Amino acid sequence: MSATKRVQQWATLSRMWYLFDAQWQDPFRSAQTLALYLTGQNKPIYHPLNDCGDHVVVINSKEVALRGDEWKKRVYFHHTGYPKGASWTLAWQLHEKDPTMVMRKAIFKAMASNLIRRTNMERLHIFPGSEIPEEIKGNISGQIRPVMPVPKRLTGYSKEEIDNFPKVFDYPNDYILR
Amino acid sequence: MSNSHLFLQSGFIRTPLQNGLGRYIPQLQRITLKFCKNQGGSRGVRDFIESDLMDFAKNNPGTVVYLKPRRHRSPCMVAEYLNGEREYLSCHEFSRDEVHKWLSYMCTRSGIPVMRFRKYQHTDYPSIQGVWNPFTHQAPEINLAQYPNDILSKPANQGPTATEQLIEIFKKTQIKDPIKPEH
Repeated sequence: MSATKRVQQWATLSRMWYLFDAQWQDPFRSAQTLALYLTGQNKPIYHPLNDCGDHVVVINSKEVALRGDEWKKRVYFHHTGYPKGASWTLAWQLHEKDPTMVMRKAIFKAMASNLIRRTNMERLHIFPGSEIPEEIKGNISGQIRPVMPVPKRLTGYSKEEIDNFPKVFDYPNDYILR
Repeated sequence: MSNSHLFLQSGFIRTPLQNGLGRYIPQLQRITLKFCKNQGGSRGVRDFIESDLMDFAKNNPGTVVYLKPRRHRSPCMVAEYLNGEREYLSCHEFSRDEVHKWLSYMCTRSGIPVMRFRKYQHTDYPSIQGVWNPFTHQAPEINLAQYPNDILSKPANQGPTATEQLIEIFKKTQIKDPIKPEH
């Protein structure tokens, strides 16, 4: 193999590091996308025997948004293996203990159950906040788009933008807002 | 793949020295037909030798044909190829047509051992447009992009939001006051 072809092969099989911002994202819908990147199924060179999964760095996992009342209704089951070892944890309780766990479990569940599942999971790096360690930040070479738009809060608009927003009518000055 | 194929070699499809791209060189170097003059198992081989062998030898001048009569032994044919491979085939109780068929099979083979093909096609040029890599067809801006990136932080193919549409409609309905000068 010539030097050019050897370098081409390195380039083809090189691992990418993708960033994903989980701010106000549905973890279960995001997991469908992220699982593709972790297993390498987004690549044209994908083959089940081909180890071509990418690294995914998830930030702001503390800010994930579950639908409806799922924080109260979703239950995570664990069994220690001993008698009476079963435990059921609500999603909000799990999120309080470890803010990366809801995201991690969603992605683990979205990947096919096989022998390379846990190897691919090792390439997932989840951070509760927006800070990334320098050695990981230097590797990032791409970003995965969020699955749903992130709405802007009223505090995110300037005073001028709020004043210029079209209004049908003005409240009278003595109107009391409850 | 079944149990009978456990020891079958596997490999990729190939041809010796691009044979047939320019001229074709028959790969069968010599063939030996061994047979008995008396026994019935050699009957087809004997018939073949009597009626078809001369034609075969004339049509294949690149191949040496040996005939080896041997007493009270089962008939067989041994083909030897240019690449040094040797193929043995028992011709016991073959009919004349069967001998002809197997002889032409040996004659048209390349001598490469029969193997299980890993792939049924081969090319010297795997890709004309270049092999894919993660940066193929990517916008050149990502070379200088800082992450997290503002553009990539929004979902793709999102139209204007209802709020933005409302503001647009509002702007279109605004009528300029002709008396009041602008600023």
